[in-house]
Amino acid sequence: MTKDALKPLQILVVLSIVLLALVGWFLYDDPKASPPKTNTLENLGGDFTLQSADGPVSLHDFKGKAVAIYIGYASCPDVCPTALAIMRQAFVNLPEAYQDRVHGIFISVDPERDTPEKLKTYTAFFSPKFTGLTGTKEEIDTVVDQYGAFYRMVKLENSNMGYAVDHSSRIYFISPDGQLMTTLSHTAPPKAVEDVLIKALQ
Amino acid sequence: MSRLFFRSSTFATLAAASFLSFTAHAADVTVSDAYARAMPTAGLNSAAFMMLHNNSDESIELIGAQSDVAKHVELHTHTHVDGVMQMRKVDGITLPAKGMAMLKPGDNHVMLIDLNAPLAEGDQIELTLKWSDNTQQTLSVPVKFAMPGNMPKEMKHEHSMKKEAHVH
Repeated sequence: MTKDALKPLQILVVLSIVLLALVGWFLYDDPKASPPKTNTLENLGGDFTLQSADGPVSLHDFKGKAVAIYIGYASCPDVCPTALAIMRQAFVNLPEAYQDRVHGIFISVDPERDTPEKLKTYTAFFSPKFTGLTGTKEEIDTVVDQYGAFYRMVKLENSNMGYAVDHSSRIYFISPDGQLMTTLSHTAPPKAVEDVLIKALQ
Repeated sequence: MSRLFFRSSTFATLAAASFLSFTAHAADVTVSDAYARAMPTAGLNSAAFMMLHNNSDESIELIGAQSDVAKHVELHTHTHVDGVMQMRKVDGITLPAKGMAMLKPGDNHVMLIDLNAPLAEGDQIELTLKWSDNTQQTLSVPVKFAMPGNMPKEMKHEHSMKKEAHVH
């Protein structure tokens, strides 16, 4: 083979690499196409303000308390109630001295179906210490980004639900001074949730 | 890994073969530990969970369900992909010959869409299961405040369970 014959092959190889890199970059960068990136906790969390049935609520309203946050949607029949039930159980099991120093926040990423009033009924069913919040898509997306969470609406074919919401499923723990301490999965035992809350309050 | 693959593919082949050859009768299915999740108001969704044991030598498929407590009843499943929970409708849930299917939180479930009334703990609801042989089975299902701790012991041994759902 001569040098000239190799040239088109070399160009093809270089072009392929560039194309693959572009596709990779696109897939990695598009939040709709990739699951949440693994972020370090130091970069995540922070204050936010969203709507409850009783007016705007901010994370800083709960300063001095340990807060457990879950991001989901009320039509979710399964994973979200499981997470809220675990949070409730952990709250109930806490030593009495800590009982009034914890709060739960459920953020719905589905404002089309979840009005603040509906969320109030939904969260109160689990615990009087839970507040249901939502907001405009922009407000929700800001909080979702802040906490490294993820969601997307998915049309369900032939289902009367219309659409489901795929979502990351973490319980976020906020220390009394407003810092994101750690996260747990919705499958964590209530004892693990309780332990984190106690650690936050000690 | 390859052994696991071999075993699961053998299992799938056997299940498929038996499904093609025969159909079991719904009377051969035993339902246990059924419950529906309590919900505070109409308009919300709930879910029913249970263990289904196929006592026959032939596979059978759960193809639908019906209940007066909700506007719509469908079979759904959850998958957990890279930390993201995804709920999808399934057309059926197969019970292999002499096998079982678990309908449990975070997995296959009967989805009760748009409740007509709240489901309170202690209530009993009627739920009809529809099978691939055109038979039906009506159950009286208790409503529970579903807690991970409330689950029957068998439900906790996830790795011993077989799940076959067809997503279309």
